[in-house]
Amino acid sequence: MKRLLSVTAVTAVAAACGLAGMFHSTCVVAQTTLNVVTAGDQNMVDYVNNFLGPRFEKLNPGVKVRAVGTGPGDAGSQKIQEKLEAQSKAGAAAWDVDVAVVHQRGAANMVKGNLLAAYRNDIAAGKLVSRDTAKNALGQNVDGYVLPMFHSQIALAYNSDLVKAPPKDYAQLADWTKKNPKQFGYNGVKGGMSGVGFVMGWVNANSSIGPKLETGPYDPAQKAQIEKALVSLKEFNKNVVLTPGNAGTLDMLNRGEIAMGPVWVDMFYTWMADGKMNPKVRLSLLSPGLPGQPMYYVVPAKAANAALAKKFVDFAESPEIQAEGIVKQFNWYPGIDPQYVQPKMDAASWNKLFTDIPPNDLSKYGRPFPLSEYFTDILESYEKVVTN
Amino acid sequence: MVETTLGPRLRGDDERGGGRVVSRRVREWQWIGLLLLAPALALIALLFMLPLGISIVTAFEAPGGGFTLAHFAKAWDFYHTDFWFTIGLTLLSTALIALGSIAIAGYLTLGENPAAQAVLRWLYRWPLFIPFIVTAQVMRGFLAKNGLMNHALIATGLIEPLQAQSFLDWRGIVIAFVWKQTPFVALMLAGAMASLDASTIEAARNLGARRLRTLIEIVLPQVMPSLLVGLILSFVTMLSVLSVPIMLSGDSPTMLTVDIAYRINSHRDYGVANALGTISCVMAGLVAWFYLRQGVAQARA
Repeated sequence: MKRLLSVTAVTAVAAACGLAGMFHSTCVVAQTTLNVVTAGDQNMVDYVNNFLGPRFEKLNPGVKVRAVGTGPGDAGSQKIQEKLEAQSKAGAAAWDVDVAVVHQRGAANMVKGNLLAAYRNDIAAGKLVSRDTAKNALGQNVDGYVLPMFHSQIALAYNSDLVKAPPKDYAQLADWTKKNPKQFGYNGVKGGMSGVGFVMGWVNANSSIGPKLETGPYDPAQKAQIEKALVSLKEFNKNVVLTPGNAGTLDMLNRGEIAMGPVWVDMFYTWMADGKMNPKVRLSLLSPGLPGQPMYYVVPAKAANAALAKKFVDFAESPEIQAEGIVKQFNWYPGIDPQYVQPKMDAASWNKLFTDIPPNDLSKYGRPFPLSEYFTDILESYEKVVTN
Repeated sequence: MVETTLGPRLRGDDERGGGRVVSRRVREWQWIGLLLLAPALALIALLFMLPLGISIVTAFEAPGGGFTLAHFAKAWDFYHTDFWFTIGLTLLSTALIALGSIAIAGYLTLGENPAAQAVLRWLYRWPLFIPFIVTAQVMRGFLAKNGLMNHALIATGLIEPLQAQSFLDWRGIVIAFVWKQTPFVALMLAGAMASLDASTIEAARNLGARRLRTLIEIVLPQVMPSLLVGLILSFVTMLSVLSVPIMLSGDSPTMLTVDIAYRINSHRDYGVANALGTISCVMAGLVAWFYLRQGVAQARA
C-alpha cells in the first residue's frame, strides 16, 4: 500500500511537472514555501496572492509564497492565535506560520501570550514606521513585535444628492435622523467592524470618559458611564435602519434605501474604483471622531522560516510596495510614514485617497479603538442596554 | 431441504449439530460485523460525541474549573429575547411550510390538469438543490426595499413606490426558510400521498366530496405521520442555520445561531456560546424525542 502510494505520488508529481513543462519548458520545484496566514476579508488574501507574492517570488527564486485567509474581523486573528497556541502547547520546534497578518486585538493577545518574535529592529523598514499604533495596540505594548501593513479608517458615507451638508458631530447626526427617520443605517455590533466602530465613536462622544477609553488606565467602574451613553444610542436606534454587515450598508446606500451610514474607507474606495458604488456617495468624519485601525505584519516566535519571513515583511514595507500596492491598488492608508510613500507615486493617485477626507481631518478625527477591556465592556453593555 | 428425506433420528442429530455450527458462525459473523462497524463508530464517537460532550461540559465549567451556572445566567440575561424569537420564528416558518407543502402535494395528488401538475412537479423541487447561504444571498437582493420584488410589484401597479418597504428583517428570514424547506416536506408528502390506496380518494370523489374536502378529510389524516416527520426535520434544520439570519437581518432580536457565532468570534467566550448551544440542543432534542416516538408508534402499527 505504502509503495503504491509513493508510486502514485511520484506519478502525480511527474504528471504535474509534465503539465508545467508544457507551458514553461522546465520543471522547477520550489525549495521553500513561505506560509503567509492572513486575517481579514478576501482582499487581504488577494493582496498577497496577486500582488505581493509574485513580486517577492521573482526576487527570490526557489521561494513560493502561499497565502491562507482565516476570515474577517477579530475572529480571523483569533484563529491564527489558536493555531499558534496549539503548536506552542504541543512543544513544536518549528511552527508552520511564517508571517501572519492580524488585527490589533489579535496582536495584543499574541504578544501577551509570548507567541510572537520581536523583529522590527532586525529589518531596515522597521525605521520607516511612525504612528503610535506600531507601539501600542488597544493599550497593550507591542513595540518591536508588529509592523503596520496599512491603516484603515471608518468614515461616514453619505449620498451627496440627498444630503447637502453632512452632520459634523454626533449630536447633529442624532438631530438629522429625527428629521429623516430610517435614512441612516449601520450594522449593529454583530455584523462587522464598521458598526462596532460607530458604536465606539458614539460612546466616546456621549460620555465624559472619551480620552480615558483610548489611553486608560482601565477602570471597571466606568461601565455606568458607558451604559448611560448607550441608553441614548437605544433612543437613536429607533430612527435608524440596522443593515446586514459592512457590505450591507454600502449596498443600501447604492440602492438609495438609506442616505447615510458608517463604512470602511478602503472598502468604499475599492467599490468606487470597481464601479460598484454610486459616484454621488461621499465621505466625511464626525467630531470627536470615528475609529480606525491598522493590520499588522507579525512573525511567530518559532516561525519555520523566520529569516525569510523578515525579508518578506521588509519587502512588503518598502516605500515602493506601499505606494503601488497598499495605496494605489488597494486604497488603504500606508502602514509606514506617508512622507516615504508620497514621493514614490503620482499625485493623482495620492490625492484620490484624500479627496473627501483631507489629511488634517484624518489626523484630528481618526481615533484609535478603545482599550480592549473597554472595547469588551462597550460591546457587552450594547447587548444589555440597546438590544434587550 | 435435503434433511427432510432422512430418517427422524438422523435428522434430529443433524439439526442439533447444524444448529451448533450455524450459531457459532453467527457469533463469528457478529464479531466481524462489529469489527466492520468499529471505524464508523469510532469516528462518530471521536468527531461527534466527544466534541458534543466537551461543549456541554464547558457550558457548565467556571473559568478556573469547577461547576457553574454563570454562563447560562449570562446567556439568559443577554439573549432571552433571541431565544423566544428563535422559537417563534422557527414555529411560524414550520406552520407556513406545512401549509405550502400540503398545497403542493395535494395538487400533485388531486389535481385535474396534467400539464399544470407536470410543471409544478418539475418546478417545486428546485430550492432543494440550493444551499441556505445561496438562498440568503439571493433573498438579500430580492427582498430589499429597492430590490427585485418591490420593483416588480411597483411595475405591475400593485403597490405605490412610497409603499415599498424592506423585508430584510425577521420576515426575510421566514421567507427564506419557507422557500427553502417547503419542497423538502412537499417531496416527502407527495411520495406518501402517491402511495395511498387510491380507492379511498375515488370513493370520496364519487360521493361528491370536493377536492379540498377530500384533501383535508381523507388524504391528510392518512399521511399525517409523513407530514410530521418532514416538519420535525425542517424545524431542527432551521434551528441550526446561521447564514440566513446573519445575511438577511442586521436587526435585533436575532436567532441564537448568530449569538453563538458572535460570542465566539468577537469575545472568544466559549462558555456562553456553549450554554447557548446546549439550549439549542435541548430545543432540538425535545423535537427529536417526538420524532423518535412517532417512529416507534409507526413501527408498532
